[in-house]
Amino acid sequence: MSSWLDYTINGLIVGNVYALVAVGLALIFGVSRLINFAQGSIYLVGAYIGWVAVVQLHTPLPLTIIVVAVAAAIVGLIIERFGLRPLQNSVRIAPLLATIGISFVLDQLVMLTFSPNPRALPSQLPDVRFQVGGGTIGPLDLLIAGVGLTSALLLFVFLRYSKLGWAVRATAQDRDAAMQMGVDVNRVNQAVFGIAAALGGVSGLLVGMYYNQIDTAMSLQATLKGVVAEVVGGAGNVPGAVIGSLLLGLVESYGVAVFGTSYRNLFAFLLLVVVLVLRPNGLFASARQAPPEPLTGTFIAPSRPVRIPRWALAVAAAIFAILPLFPVSFYVLQTLINAWLLGMLALSLTLVAGTIGQVSLGHAALLAIGAYTSALLSLTLNVPVGLAIIGGGLMSAALGTLLISPSFRLRGHYVSIATLAIGEIVSLVILNWESVTRGPIGISGIPPLSLFGTELISPTSIYWFSFAVMVVLALLQGRLLTSHLGRSFRAIRDDDIAARAYGLSLNRYKSLAFIFGGFAAGVSGGIAAHLYSYINHETFNTQQSILALTVVILGGLGNVVGAMLGAVALVGLPEVFRIAAEYRILIYGIVLLLLVRFRPQGLLGTI
Amino acid sequence: MSNIDRRTLVKGSLAAMMAGAASSRGAFADTSEPILLGVSGPLTGPNAQYGTQWKQGFDLALDEIMAAGGINGRKLAYQFEDSQSDPRQSVAIAQKFVSDPRIVMELGDFSSPASMAASPIYQRGGLVQFGFTNSHPDFTKGGDFMWSTSVSQADEQPLLAAYAVKRLGLKKLAVLHLNTDWGRTSRDYFSNAAKEYGAEIVVTEGYIAEERDFRSTLVRVRDANPDGLILISYYSDGALIARQARQVGLKQVICAASSVYSPKFIELGGEAVEDVHVGTRYFPEDTRPEVQKFIAGFKKKYNGQEPDAFNAYSYDAMNMAAAVVKIGGTDRKAIRDAFTKVKDVSSVIFGSATFDVASRRVKGAMNAELVVRKGQFALWDGKPT
Repeated sequence: MSSWLDYTINGLIVGNVYALVAVGLALIFGVSRLINFAQGSIYLVGAYIGWVAVVQLHTPLPLTIIVVAVAAAIVGLIIERFGLRPLQNSVRIAPLLATIGISFVLDQLVMLTFSPNPRALPSQLPDVRFQVGGGTIGPLDLLIAGVGLTSALLLFVFLRYSKLGWAVRATAQDRDAAMQMGVDVNRVNQAVFGIAAALGGVSGLLVGMYYNQIDTAMSLQATLKGVVAEVVGGAGNVPGAVIGSLLLGLVESYGVAVFGTSYRNLFAFLLLVVVLVLRPNGLFASARQAPPEPLTGTFIAPSRPVRIPRWALAVAAAIFAILPLFPVSFYVLQTLINAWLLGMLALSLTLVAGTIGQVSLGHAALLAIGAYTSALLSLTLNVPVGLAIIGGGLMSAALGTLLISPSFRLRGHYVSIATLAIGEIVSLVILNWESVTRGPIGISGIPPLSLFGTELISPTSIYWFSFAVMVVLALLQGRLLTSHLGRSFRAIRDDDIAARAYGLSLNRYKSLAFIFGGFAAGVSGGIAAHLYSYINHETFNTQQSILALTVVILGGLGNVVGAMLGAVALVGLPEVFRIAAEYRILIYGIVLLLLVRFRPQGLLGTI
Repeated sequence: MSNIDRRTLVKGSLAAMMAGAASSRGAFADTSEPILLGVSGPLTGPNAQYGTQWKQGFDLALDEIMAAGGINGRKLAYQFEDSQSDPRQSVAIAQKFVSDPRIVMELGDFSSPASMAASPIYQRGGLVQFGFTNSHPDFTKGGDFMWSTSVSQADEQPLLAAYAVKRLGLKKLAVLHLNTDWGRTSRDYFSNAAKEYGAEIVVTEGYIAEERDFRSTLVRVRDANPDGLILISYYSDGALIARQARQVGLKQVICAASSVYSPKFIELGGEAVEDVHVGTRYFPEDTRPEVQKFIAGFKKKYNGQEPDAFNAYSYDAMNMAAAVVKIGGTDRKAIRDAFTKVKDVSSVIFGSATFDVASRRVKGAMNAELVVRKGQFALWDGKPT
């Protein structure tokens, strides 16, 4: 029994750590309805500023905390002023993408300044341990708990009783009305970003000291866990974020207790999906509270798409089709093969995210399902590769739709978070379901692509094959968009209540979109599996999902040609910037930010 | 394959025309150009730290190779392409290297998904893929152009098991391993060997690379009541586990695989890694001349920094590449064949390295049994801790 006490204490301790990030995320979401993907990067910046203060300048702890808080707040203000404020009148998805771009840039800047090697960040507190149950806790545990609880409490009081706090809440409820009442909305946003960033920086410092270790990879993990905790507690609800974090810590700890360490994150993300499905506003939302997402689909604003004449598309397709006949290097062809594979994924995502408005952040899971299905079919059942790839597409369509169906009732950001969680769950199931997926060892010796018994192994033939598959999928999708079905999809995106009133069954149409999209993504994954000959649970990761979403938004939501254009751009740019070596991802992030800034509706516009 | 032939023909004739026009491009110009190796590895992304460590080892080895007169008078150089250890990028890099006639062989990539996705391209393109950190048992099965000096876990883990069971006398072991292809393979070899030596594995826990909190895992470990903890970890996660084990009051002997062997392990672990036992392939006071040369050279070049395991792997890999190119010249097929001929290359990890032609790997890694004493890795003196 004493072990259960220990698991409980450990769960609360790690929940404490998550709470620091979750509170900052909740604050920002509460005001600007934005999931700040850069919060983890501010946390990273805070940790490294803390390292400079502690190790180089030997500041005492209170001064270190102040230095980090101020510096991080300044970073937050800069992000708000130059990254997000220019976007406040554009599509609601633009700031989301901007925070992803900002996090790329910040992470890279830290990495370039401090090198990617992990560093020790020594704790400045005395090393005494108190016996609790079978384990011990130290002063840093108490400090982290203190900072988490105090900041949540202070924020609660600030929001409830101070004038600026009222302004913050008014802005959160109705921006336009608040502006009409004379609230300086920009100042409110500034205050919120400053506070959240200060908190994020301090949490990076404390967590770094806690583990005596900081490295540049800590940013994404912090964001992921923070987002889970925040949503469990109720997005935008500051005290809820603390309780959500503790709950997340407990669920993880009990998950480890019952099933073992490798199941830990599986439980974290299952908790999230269950909470989202049962109580979409979080565990602590009151029944009377207005839903935090708008009733109609202002998440994706319509824009005027760029009309590209048919002949121009035909010419472009013809040029790409005959490209291998010219002396272009295999490197260029391979890069374009990658672009076509990403293009298929983007077609899938642009349909579900752009056309029907379900912005998915876990689309790599569909790739993985398609890849594993196709690989296993061809390896263990000797199914011909061409058929196996189609099998991968079908499995992805079926399983993907089934997995996502519980979240059909969600809207806006919540869909993104649910799909993010489902993506992680798929990857963790692949890791743990060893009898089928071979676990971390992965599947090797996958046969190469072949069609009607002929192996496609030269880059030229793989190029033609993948290009042809993508074009066929694109033509089908283009046809779909102009059909009655496509119009129904868009009706659901633009106003689901009106669509329902008109007699459209939302779930059925969402399923149809995911079936079609799942097939395209599954085929892309299947081709990739045969191209690579080896896959494991890391081959299709979260970064892939984020990349796919970036492609879709860059090209223009729902825009078929845009998806393909975006894929070529985002596969091509990092290759073009190869000359810049370590700086290339930084440049890529900056280009992304500029694109979002000046063309938030995407290159070709939303259809 | 006819495409490749046509293409190389076109390229060849183009090159010949250019050579004719410029007239300076002949046998003489060839020797002034460096012999170029392609490196595919992570310089950005979550594994960036390993790419930077590779570079340090490569650069040191190159300095020494140049000082010794280069490759038969020619310079040796490498072109490092950042793959982020992402299979999508490593396949593009593979095509880039294969179609670049200046590249004579390739080194890397870091992770198995990135390396093995590129293998078919190197194999078909006829360019050696020399994966010096690729321990995945299937890596060299990708074809006869795949070679590896990564220490086979079938070799390494029984040595660690012997250290833990035979020397330290541990009988009930808790194994914590990174849940990757490397960690999983290592765990299986370790468990089998440990059982053979008469120990019992009371609990095994696999954790993902991003994990930072091990307290609950350690409660499981405690409840299994082991007399020793085995860490199949890298240095950063190994240090985290050791710290948290001591914090929650676990006082058992900790014994770790050679991948934690890095000054960073001690820096990150602090007092908690005191008395941790590590089975490694070399150690600072090793009297072998190649080790002394490596450590002295490394400290001199990098301001007194101590080298770690990944520095040693890349240093050895560059020396091996030089030895192979010396025999094989600049022809890609001849370089592949040179791997079967190269003998007794001086190596930090192996002492002297010769490939086993059947498995295309090197067998017989050196063994040193170290323990952390007063914040330093030291040869274990046989005293129990």
